[in-house]
Amino acid sequence: MEIFVLVKQVPDPEATVKIKTDTELEIENKYFTNFFDEIAIEAALRLKEKFGGKVTVLTADPKRVDALRRGISMGADEAIQISDPALEGSDPFAIARVLAAYLKDRSFDLILAGRQAMDDDSGIVGIALAEALNLPHVHSIIGLEVDISRKEAKVIREVENGKEHLTCPLPALFTCQKGLNTPRIPLVMNVMKAMKAQIKKLDLVSLGIEPSKVGSPSIQAKVIRYLSPPKRPPVKMIKEEFPDNVRTLVRLLREDAKVI
Amino acid sequence: MALDFTFTEEQEFFRQTIRDTVNRMIMPRVKELDEKEEFPWDLWREFAALGYLGLRHEEKYGGMGTDTITQMIFYEELARGSCGFFMSVTMQILMGTYFIGRFGNEEIKQRILVPAIKGEKIGTICFTEDQSGSDLAGTRTLATKVDGGWRINGRKQWITNGPIADFATVMATVDPKLGLKGLNFFLVERKTKDRDGFVSGQRLHKLGSRCSVTGELVFDNVFIPDENFLGEEIGKGVQYAGEILNEVRVMTGMSALAIAKEAMEDARQYANNRIAFGNPISKYQLIREKFAKFWAWYEAARTFLYKCAWMIQNNIPCTNECMLAKYHATEMCMYAVEEAMRIYGGNAFCTEYPVQRYWRDAKFLLYGGGTHEVLCDYLGRVYCKG
Repeated sequence: MEIFVLVKQVPDPEATVKIKTDTELEIENKYFTNFFDEIAIEAALRLKEKFGGKVTVLTADPKRVDALRRGISMGADEAIQISDPALEGSDPFAIARVLAAYLKDRSFDLILAGRQAMDDDSGIVGIALAEALNLPHVHSIIGLEVDISRKEAKVIREVENGKEHLTCPLPALFTCQKGLNTPRIPLVMNVMKAMKAQIKKLDLVSLGIEPSKVGSPSIQAKVIRYLSPPKRPPVKMIKEEFPDNVRTLVRLLREDAKVI
Repeated sequence: MALDFTFTEEQEFFRQTIRDTVNRMIMPRVKELDEKEEFPWDLWREFAALGYLGLRHEEKYGGMGTDTITQMIFYEELARGSCGFFMSVTMQILMGTYFIGRFGNEEIKQRILVPAIKGEKIGTICFTEDQSGSDLAGTRTLATKVDGGWRINGRKQWITNGPIADFATVMATVDPKLGLKGLNFFLVERKTKDRDGFVSGQRLHKLGSRCSVTGELVFDNVFIPDENFLGEEIGKGVQYAGEILNEVRVMTGMSALAIAKEAMEDARQYANNRIAFGNPISKYQLIREKFAKFWAWYEAARTFLYKCAWMIQNNIPCTNECMLAKYHATEMCMYAVEEAMRIYGGNAFCTEYPVQRYWRDAKFLLYGGGTHEVLCDYLGRVYCKG
């Protein structure tokens, strides 16, 4: 099977994120592979182990290649970075157009992606790419089986109050949800291989994309203002003895917190 | 442009990978590992399967042959998890197998080093005795030349991985009167029904690093063949030990960095949330001063340690620098864990909070690689001499 996996590096959960201006964030330089993308890589590798073929990890992040190296360290065969200064500030739709430009003339059986990136949580790129390539897609899968002879996949996704079992012809695009698998911890031998791996870089010209069609000029949904989550109010200690403390607690829950 | 403090993109990737491995594999079990005080065989096998035990050995024996800076990044990240597990792993990667890789013949390497890198055999190194440790000249374990090999007699104490070790690199003297010039390394395996070897003595119960099992090994007239002499000529044991002592000291410093950082990160969160007199205690100057001092000393210690790693990697003589860096980093760590305990107040005194574990784990760093009293005596002497 020929499988492409879309990957992205996102701020490490331990990284500090501050609001610099209304529309700009200051993020500590700690990045790691998006959690859901690792699930997609794992799913692709399991299919490769079963049916043979090739897994290629692909990113349109012009700055960082950590996620690509992560893919190689887990067992992917090739890593491709679409890297162009004009991509800076692109929205998910522009990223999908760029990825589509690369993938449209290529032969593949499956594209896998994470259900969303854990930075902006928009969950758009995978679905928009499927639309751009006119591929069937299923979002947020938690089960995947491929019937190679019939060129179809059976997938499961969670829906409200249950699970939905679907059959989908290949090639297709699926976005992967927690529960599909547990991503492997890379062997150090593969980590070393990933550290030395040559990352293939492509620019927009080679994909035939006008720089004005991506980046800030092409944004469809603009961030107007970032807001910090409200600060947690200080803990109120109730100092009375029983039963007065219970009466006070009930009053505070009713009048201040308004939860009862 | 010669001075450059940046890690390469590849080194950053390696750090992030081992950090993630530690977060997923070790962090969820740290409390359990400390409380059980048993060697975690399941974790050991799982970790060994990833290949990290071969980090500094040749590829033809299953190793990775990485450079010193990569190894130090690994140690710094690994020590964030269980300090006891860190001790067992580093014993296997560095001290427990170094002389086998350096001097063992091909048969020994295939029989011992290859399974050690896979985690199937456990190794250790034996320096300490009841009257010697930092004072190696006081070594009394005796190696006597006999026909076809050597007889080893003595007892070694404080042996990391000792109770579970399959093989040991043992420092023994050919004549106690020769002092440092009589010392040599010998490979001794555990006694089986088919083979002479060491047996386990008393196991020690430690304040910290508790999942690394530590104990005594007894050598009762053990016969070993000639090929188990690890060296090129007799009397060079101390010189050989010097080959890894720099690495051992910087590695110990890396674990000090990790413990200190974890302790103070926890303390920061605690100080930001613990309310006293109407404010988080991080608002008070005496508490802030603790963080400021830690921060300054931590940054200095880390920079110095990586400079030493760079010197080792580039074969620049750095024995004194490595001693200084180990001393400084460990004292910084002592400050950090002590002050973290104070920031936690009375809560530091109960096992519900991890801060007491950092404090207990850190204490061992004072002795590994030479006590600070011995290091300072030596370094002061060197400095005064000019």
